[in-house]
Amino acid sequence: MTIPISTYLIYLAISIALTIWVARTLHKNGRVFLVDVFHGNDALADSVNHLLVVGFYLINFGYVSLALKLGYTIQTAEQSIEALSVKIGMVLLVLGGMHLFNLFVFSRMRRRATAHPYPPVGPDAFTPVQPAAQQEA
Amino acid sequence: MFALTVLYDPECGLCRRAHEWLADQSKLIELNFVPCASTEARQRYPQLNHDLTKQDLTVVGDNGAVYFGPKAWLMVLWALARYRDWSYRLAAPELLPTTRRVVSLISQNRYQIGRVTGLSR
Repeated sequence: MTIPISTYLIYLAISIALTIWVARTLHKNGRVFLVDVFHGNDALADSVNHLLVVGFYLINFGYVSLALKLGYTIQTAEQSIEALSVKIGMVLLVLGGMHLFNLFVFSRMRRRATAHPYPPVGPDAFTPVQPAAQQEA
Repeated sequence: MFALTVLYDPECGLCRRAHEWLADQSKLIELNFVPCASTEARQRYPQLNHDLTKQDLTVVGDNGAVYFGPKAWLMVLWALARYRDWSYRLAAPELLPTTRRVVSLISQNRYQIGRVTGLSR
């Protein structure tokens, strides 16, 4: 196997393995968050979790695939390692960004669900409420 | 608190329009609309000053808490899923005076605003 071909294959193997690892971590640990956000509705949490992970896979594999092309020829093993380090470094940064974005989405959902149970202002007065009139409301 | 009763002015086009808009919004707390100073309002809140409710928007919680004027507007915002964050922002000490001023201005001129914008029938 020539050096360029093996460089591509190593790149693909490492990137795919990394993506799968991050996605699985996200899937496993994001679930608890989502169950809390959806007030214990497990089915909905699992569904949203799965959909998020699918989006994660699509974006990352899309990026890995687009970034495959080197644009220059490599002849030696050193050049191959250097090219790999740049490519995989980029994949790692994209994965990190995506991962943080996912965490941001999770925490935002959670904050929405639990935000502010108290009114913003205090009342001006209190008045008795006639319970009989409230039944049709 | 699980429900708010909004005592609105049925004579004012702007208020009717606001009522329609509120009906479409997703709510965190139930909003009931009762025309101010109506028989229903008097029946429900026998000790409330109903002449005052004609002057400005009034909101009453299911626990009997009365919010009048700008506070009533903030409470309505607070009941809406999309605007709850805004109710806190507008009620913050830095913004509350401005909120009061703007809301009072709109409230005092609601008939004129309704007429100018063609909302009153």
